[in-house]
Amino acid sequence: MEKFSAPMALPPPDPQFVLRGTSAAVHTLHFSCGGPEPDIPLLFSGSENGFIHVWNLKTHRVDSALDGHGRKSVYCVETMGGKDRLLSQGRDQRICLWDLAEGRTSVTDSVFTEHVGFCRCSLLKVAQGRWLMAMAARSLEEVQILELPSKTSVCTLKPEVGAKLGMPMCLKLWQLNCGSQPVLLAGYEDGSVVLWNVSMGKVLSKLICHQEPVMSLDFDSEKAKGISGSSEKVLSIWSLNEQQNLQVYKTHELVNAGVSDITIRPDKKILATGGWDHRIRIFGWKKLKPLAVLDYHTATVHCVSFSDHSIPRERLLAAGSKDQRISVWSIYAET
Amino acid sequence: MSVRGTRDFSHSVSPTSGELCGGAASASLPAPSGLPGLAPARPRSRAGTPGTGRACGSRSPVMAVFDTPQAAFGALRPVCVQLTRTQTVENVRQLQAHLAGVSGAALQELQEYVLFPLRFALRVPGPKQERLVQSLVQCISSVLAATCVKKQELLQELFSELCTCLAPSPSSGKAAPLSEELKLAVIQALHTLMHSAYGDVILSLYQPSTLPLLGFAVSLLLTLAEQEKAKQIKISALECLQVLVLQCDCQEHRHLDEDEAQQCGDLFASFLPGISITLSRVIAGDIKQGHKTTVSAIRLFYLIVGLVMADKQLARVPKNKEKLPVEHSRISELMIHRGPDWTKSTAEKLSLLLHKVVESSSVHPHWKVRLELVELVHHLLQNCSQSLVDSFSHLLKALVGLVNDENSEVQSRCNKVLQGIAEQRIVAQNRALADVLSENLHSLATALPRLMNSQDDMGKVSTLSLLLGYLKLLGPKINIVLNSVSHLQRLSKALVQVLELDVTDVKIVEARCSRPPGPLQQGVQKGRHQKKYFRFFMEEKVFQLLQQVCRVLGYYGNLYLLVDHFMGLYNESGLYRKQAAMILNELVTGAAGVGVDFLQERGVPLNVDDLKGSITSILDEYMDQANWYLVTSIDTEEGSPEQSVQHLGHSVRAREASSSVLLLSPEPPVTTRTMNSNIWQICIQLEGVGCFAAVLGKEFRLLLLSALYPVLEKAGDRTLLISETALGTLADICEACGYNSVQCLINENSDYLVNGISLNLRHLAHQPRASQVLDTMLRHSDASLLPLVEDVIQEVLSALDQSYNSQASTFLRVLHSVMTALVQWFGTPSAEEQQRQTDKGQSRARSQGQQEVTMTSQELERFFLDYVSQKQIADGDLPDLEEEEADEVPLAKPEPSSDTEGEAPMPIHAQLARDVMERCIHLLSDGSLRVRLKVLDVLELCVTMLHPHGNHLLPMAHRVWPALVTRLINDDPLAVLRAFKVLCTLGQTCGDFLRQRFSKDVLPKLTSSLLSQAPVSARAGPVYSHTLAFKLQLAVLQGLGSLCERLDMGESDLNKVADACLIYLSAKQPVKLQEAAQSVFLHLMHVDPDSTWLLLSEVCCPEGYEPPHASLRPVKLSGMGRPRNELTDNVLLLLQRLQQQEGTGPGTSTQEASPS
Repeated sequence: MEKFSAPMALPPPDPQFVLRGTSAAVHTLHFSCGGPEPDIPLLFSGSENGFIHVWNLKTHRVDSALDGHGRKSVYCVETMGGKDRLLSQGRDQRICLWDLAEGRTSVTDSVFTEHVGFCRCSLLKVAQGRWLMAMAARSLEEVQILELPSKTSVCTLKPEVGAKLGMPMCLKLWQLNCGSQPVLLAGYEDGSVVLWNVSMGKVLSKLICHQEPVMSLDFDSEKAKGISGSSEKVLSIWSLNEQQNLQVYKTHELVNAGVSDITIRPDKKILATGGWDHRIRIFGWKKLKPLAVLDYHTATVHCVSFSDHSIPRERLLAAGSKDQRISVWSIYAET
Repeated sequence: MSVRGTRDFSHSVSPTSGELCGGAASASLPAPSGLPGLAPARPRSRAGTPGTGRACGSRSPVMAVFDTPQAAFGALRPVCVQLTRTQTVENVRQLQAHLAGVSGAALQELQEYVLFPLRFALRVPGPKQERLVQSLVQCISSVLAATCVKKQELLQELFSELCTCLAPSPSSGKAAPLSEELKLAVIQALHTLMHSAYGDVILSLYQPSTLPLLGFAVSLLLTLAEQEKAKQIKISALECLQVLVLQCDCQEHRHLDEDEAQQCGDLFASFLPGISITLSRVIAGDIKQGHKTTVSAIRLFYLIVGLVMADKQLARVPKNKEKLPVEHSRISELMIHRGPDWTKSTAEKLSLLLHKVVESSSVHPHWKVRLELVELVHHLLQNCSQSLVDSFSHLLKALVGLVNDENSEVQSRCNKVLQGIAEQRIVAQNRALADVLSENLHSLATALPRLMNSQDDMGKVSTLSLLLGYLKLLGPKINIVLNSVSHLQRLSKALVQVLELDVTDVKIVEARCSRPPGPLQQGVQKGRHQKKYFRFFMEEKVFQLLQQVCRVLGYYGNLYLLVDHFMGLYNESGLYRKQAAMILNELVTGAAGVGVDFLQERGVPLNVDDLKGSITSILDEYMDQANWYLVTSIDTEEGSPEQSVQHLGHSVRAREASSSVLLLSPEPPVTTRTMNSNIWQICIQLEGVGCFAAVLGKEFRLLLLSALYPVLEKAGDRTLLISETALGTLADICEACGYNSVQCLINENSDYLVNGISLNLRHLAHQPRASQVLDTMLRHSDASLLPLVEDVIQEVLSALDQSYNSQASTFLRVLHSVMTALVQWFGTPSAEEQQRQTDKGQSRARSQGQQEVTMTSQELERFFLDYVSQKQIADGDLPDLEEEEADEVPLAKPEPSSDTEGEAPMPIHAQLARDVMERCIHLLSDGSLRVRLKVLDVLELCVTMLHPHGNHLLPMAHRVWPALVTRLINDDPLAVLRAFKVLCTLGQTCGDFLRQRFSKDVLPKLTSSLLSQAPVSARAGPVYSHTLAFKLQLAVLQGLGSLCERLDMGESDLNKVADACLIYLSAKQPVKLQEAAQSVFLHLMHVDPDSTWLLLSEVCCPEGYEPPHASLRPVKLSGMGRPRNELTDNVLLLLQRLQQQEGTGPGTSTQEASPS
């Protein structure tokens, strides 16, 4: 009997569970599960109808729904410090700061971006209670760096005249270690990835990775390696050498075109991509070995996110899709 | 000087003295007790010799005549002198009579004086008359009863004199055959004497020096107790002995201080062997001796043992024997030193005796004896828990066994004693006792399987109550037992073996769920577990006891340890699985403290998180695929997927080798027995889920995430037992989590369910069950559910697309419930629509009707105009009606859906209906009749649902049509029947669209089949009405009329219909068919009354018609003047109806005409 035969290819894994009820396409996800035991693990989701849903991962139900973007699509949600302070960015051209402590659901502050695109802002904690935030600014090619919570502008990153980069599409603000200079990686409409020195406002390096707009990128500062995806069938992996130059390291061909989101797991072992082909793909980060294709959604996957559970075994991957569902996967065992 | 004033001589009153006293009552009313300065030395309200020494208290009319010693002396002196001179019975009686008149206080003064002649008489050497001795003894006891003995010598002398009375006279050398009366009198006198000793005087009897005397008395009394025949003597002797060892029941004795008690203990230790052996013989003696004797013997036994072996006293015994003064050297030999060695050997001997005592009395028929046994255990446990520790194995066994005594008093006392033991933590603090108990437990557990095999149910009950009792007594100490691997294994093996279910009943497997797919009953009784049948017992009580055993284990035991152990058994072998699950359920229940009878609260309160942890892990195990999805039937419909699930379960889940090996083992042929066993396993697990919910209460809501879906799955199981149990579980969950009804539960957790359904739909093998759950869910929800389930329904559809062949029938069930739900939730507007259409039809009929009545020229004109336009419509030549135009347009187009782009999007439910209908098109020509029938049902619902959305319905109808026609004209009659129903529904909503197709594709076939079948039905007998052909005819006839009306059929078609139906008006046809045919004509009358009239009249015309004007030709109808034939009756009836319809108001006529 075939039961005894050698292990066949594993059947496609199932999501651990699926969250329904956003009643609109899901554009962004963010976990907050790192708290100690009595804290309930949470997942924030931003959806097209302008709501941010706070999912209780114990009951798998919405604890509260935040409405702060005038029913305009929310496409970026981040926590600032704990689960009580939240940052959200929406198509109403606003970035809102929320106070969620003790059951409050109020917007404490907001930034008017005047940016009409859908470039997610990037947040970097530089000191206790102090953050830097990079966001696409009003004029097409500019990126603005603000300090939060004071909202003072640190600098504006303008490409040289005639560079024709197009709009910034995705941003990643990072620093090598605490105290060192913050650096920004930005993917532009023309397919190039640019490394900016934030404090000097200067381009450090520029690399054309794609022929099409860069949809998403993520960077591993330990290995000094990053990955970007566009609407093409290609994932591009690039590295940053000692001289702060970006170099193409490798490219990886996909079956179907279109990558909407890329995330490297915090432990830098694997990465996940969300594709326009409705699939989530898992790769080993080191060699970009394809590990799994997670097939559940019936529409474009807009975002993928890894949880920050303190116990590795409990860590999760969530993906939000245009089909209004959020699938949550437990993939720790498979890596 | 204290005088005992409260007592008098009522007990020894002779008739004469009674009168005397009565007469004297008024003379000396001030009671003697009122004498100043004469307060009683101690309260002696109840004292006295049994039988004779009853005090009458204030009630008694007997009064002392002589209050002062002087007066009394004067009265008593002559009789005393008389008695001293001549010792006769008469003189004694005289003295006794006089005594009655002397007050207690006075007599106390004269005590020795009065006693002297009596004692003197006793001491006179030589043989005496027995009657004399008896009366002397009685008289002494009267005196003693009224007075106190205040001198040690007097006490000792009296004691020995009385004893001597019983002793064999030294001359005869052997036991004197004394009369029973005498023996009794002496015993009573001794008894009285012991009670009349004043203060510390009594203690003078209990000195080493009096040991021989005491021993003498003890042995005398023991001999009497053992050897006498008379119950009274036996009992009196035993009671007297009880007094003698200072353990009298009455409350008025002075309490001995520790040293005194110790001293007495030392003395009595010498008698212990004699007393205990004799008493044990008495206790085990013939039942005929009466229960009172046995009771007294038991009481005496435990009192003396409790005294001599008291832990407190033994602890104070000095290491070495005390040296007595030299003059007592002989006595010193008699004295016993209660050192450790003595204690040990005595305890051993007593253990034997106790065993004997327990054996005989625990089964004694009289309950008082058993009650006394309880007291024995209680007393010894209180006083000798250390010294007699080895005996407690028997004693506790007896005690625990009596918990279930048939007598409620014994039961309650027993429970109280146990409770007391537990409360005082006697076991908890006494390691040795705990060891004894756990040893008992171990040996019982070892024997348990054997006992369960061999004993009858009654025996099992007692064995198990014993087990339960041990556990309860051990209480928190259970963990000592559980921590020992061998104990735990013994116990668990025993439980598992006893709980083996009887799985031979075939009915369990056969009983299928006949419940129509209606809503789950609201009033499902909760917590009502399925009655189980066990291999080794029948009695319900046995099961209850086993339940309690498990619960008590759970209550006191370490839950993690227990759960772990029994989970191990659960996984170890399929043989144990059901029992282990049962035990686990009860353990958890017990751990939560639900339904546990416990004797003492556990020390540490339960930690809810621990409980939840255990429950979660058990649930995980229960609901593991390998344990949850078992083969329970060999249905062709369900069997195969179920089995494939099992395989899938293995391959998917690379679980621990042990569990999968079990399942992977070469698959045994599925026998009824295995299926039965599987059914039970599922039921037990379901019951477990219910238990866990009950235990956790609202906390269980969190677990619903994983637990609800599997339970709901089982609620839809085809096996009756499983689905019933699952329903019970659902009810339990509702109650525990605070939902009002199952509906509420499902509604409020539909997100969890949808999740489960969606994930399970991804696997072919799970699809049937997932769809079942969806089915159940839909039946219990309302429209608010739709947004949540929409994507799941789409998933079902796409799953169906991938497996038309294998899963069609399961999915169709879901589609059916989806559509039923949708129609129910959103279906109302179509009903209004329908109403409007009928109104339209009616108004037309009305206009036609009226025109007949009042015929004016204008109306006549209008009639013709109407007629022309009607005729045009009938011919399909439509006038400028826009909406009908619009209906027609899509027909022309091959791809009608493209047409919808510009419009507002359809609501979700309509979209779903369209999508479902799409699938129906493919399935309409499925090979299986069952599937086709189901499809037709679903199709009908889809049509109803899409009714308000004509633009979408028509193209779909267009596509459905060819397949539907095939069903109508070329299929099994059953399918024809349903297809015809669909057609009627379709006719309601898109009549114009159908008209032509119907008349072209279907009508000819229908009419010809009606025509061809008519002769058959006309000839057929009564059985015919059960045939399919008949049903088909009936359905067609019943539906045809309204269909024609709906479709607004053309004249030629109507004629065809009328022709085909006319023969069914024949009286030879079955009545039902006749009625149905009538209904066709009634409908036709609506559509075209004139032609119908003409047609009918052609057949039969009852009356002639005079032309209104001579210029008109006379009316000639072929029906006129015809002889009566088979059609006549029905035709006449119809004509009459037609007349009514035309004559009366249209409202009523339409009502009548509408087919029932």
